[in-house]
Amino acid sequence: MAGNFWQSSHCNQWVLDNQCLLKNRQQDLAFLSEEEYQKVHIFYASVIQAIGEQLNVRQQVIATATIYFKRVYSRYSLKSIDPLLLGPTCLFLAAKVEESGLITNSKLQVACQSVVKKFAYAFKSQEFRYKPNQILECEFYLLELLDCCLIVYHPYRPLIQYVTDLGQEEQLLPLAWKIVNDSLRTDVCLLYPPYLIALACLHMACVISQKDTKHWFAELNVDLDKVLEITQQILKLYDLWKNYDEREEIAGILEKVPKPQLTPPGGAKTTEG
Amino acid sequence: MARRGRDRSKRYENVEFLGEGQFATVYKAKDLHNGNKIVAVKKIKLGQRSEAEDGINRTALREIKLLQELQHENIIGLLDVFGQRSNINLVFDFMDTDLEVIIKDESIVLTPAHIKAYMIMTLRGLEYLHMNWILHRDMKPNNLLINDEGILKIGDFGLAKFYGSPSKVYTHQVVTRWYRCPELLFGARKYGTGVDLWATGCILAELLLRLPFLAGDSDLNQLSIIFETLGTPTEEQWPCMKSLPDFVEFKKFPGTPLSDIFTAATDDLLEFLSSMLDYNPCKRCTATQALKMRYFFSKPGPSPGFALPRPGAPSEVLKEEGNSRAGRKRKLPDESSVHLAKKLVF
Repeated sequence: MAGNFWQSSHCNQWVLDNQCLLKNRQQDLAFLSEEEYQKVHIFYASVIQAIGEQLNVRQQVIATATIYFKRVYSRYSLKSIDPLLLGPTCLFLAAKVEESGLITNSKLQVACQSVVKKFAYAFKSQEFRYKPNQILECEFYLLELLDCCLIVYHPYRPLIQYVTDLGQEEQLLPLAWKIVNDSLRTDVCLLYPPYLIALACLHMACVISQKDTKHWFAELNVDLDKVLEITQQILKLYDLWKNYDEREEIAGILEKVPKPQLTPPGGAKTTEG
Repeated sequence: MARRGRDRSKRYENVEFLGEGQFATVYKAKDLHNGNKIVAVKKIKLGQRSEAEDGINRTALREIKLLQELQHENIIGLLDVFGQRSNINLVFDFMDTDLEVIIKDESIVLTPAHIKAYMIMTLRGLEYLHMNWILHRDMKPNNLLINDEGILKIGDFGLAKFYGSPSKVYTHQVVTRWYRCPELLFGARKYGTGVDLWATGCILAELLLRLPFLAGDSDLNQLSIIFETLGTPTEEQWPCMKSLPDFVEFKKFPGTPLSDIFTAATDDLLEFLSSMLDYNPCKRCTATQALKMRYFFSKPGPSPGFALPRPGAPSEVLKEEGNSRAGRKRKLPDESSVHLAKKLVF
């Protein structure tokens, strides 16, 4: 996938401002601490990842789906739509957008079912309770909530270009790549353009593998302060992971998440707050 | 762009039914929130049972995702998207007619200046698409839409796709047959902007002849018509053609020189045409190169929009009725390519 990032909807509409992100989150932060809120997102990113892996889709699809998911909640409260319904729907839509072969609804059901079992420690019910028609209805809402902006740019492609330019690909690329994957568990993909995220991840990979690349970075014509901000957010994630046992805590946190009010009997219709 | 659904459908008041395709119905409508501006609303049908399982139609999705990123005078504008119950609606610029209607309208005389204007607008749109790494893959007169100011816009992005990933393999079952280039007909799975340029060459030829230039009735027949007309390519003209998946050896046709087919055409036009119809996809001109050719710098200059013909000349009132009907039916993106689109396996 290519296109022109600088004229894209991603660049023009979806690089958000931190203040506005926090403002939209206030409703949820009445129930959850900031850290708990992040844990909810980390958890669902893992759920999306697991369903995607189960379905054998490319990482690109998983990354796109995760960003769809985060974009929706960057504007709306967690109570406006159940994340467990939205997550699989994001994958369903992302697979079509990325032209990577259709995920059929029935396969999606099977995958969700087994992933819910895998994360049994988090959910009260061991069943994936959403029906195919609810996924379809949700897809519709998703398209609208995203303002029909479906093309998402990821740090992977610029990362490859930077690493190639820097040299030492074999050592740096796999490490930086993993950090990019991890960055999907933070807000950076909502706040910064992908090329800056790529640079931050590359920089971290260089530091970890003790490569002296000061010179190369100094010659870049980019806002290094922003690169630093991204690095800090990712480091914060690693810090959080150090003392966090998801198996122990997540059920309690999910309990506190504000829930959507379902409209019986159709089910998935959401009430926007 | 798309905001909350419920009230949105009220924003557009249907004026007239325009046509129905396999997966969409198109209405002419008034945008009540924008000074009653006339727009085209394309209502995507929910597929039949098995298809409905797969959710939002993929062809529609392709149009939404690409058009949302594109903004150019010669590309159809997607103005809005809204949901209405379980239907999805795309709102487009309203376009009065398309190039196919103009070509078929015998009351219209197409002058060299008109043709040059259509070519410039087509190539500018195409250049913009290709610069954004998008292949249209269904260029044909029927998809070149024209508004009341005479501005031509490329429409129907149901088959369009990003290109340029070296590893990606594409389907060769694209482009309406008459406009399909030889490498696609030989089953090429990796191809580039050349497919759109070949089609543009065929469109130019059709503007001159007022008839489809290379009208085959099967894929094989399409190839033999191409070779009969333009001559069977030699290894030298098109190296590597023998390595294409569906390559078959054809009889050696000598072909007819373009100057004998288009007897009234000037040299610069023939030069332009032949560079779009180059057998070797690597040597075929790009949209950018095409726009720099001598043809576009020589007289006559292109007609301005207002001077371009409109279908249904006023003197032929009766005919207009029939013409505009037919024109409108085919006017909006989708229809004819739908059948094809469904066969695509990505």
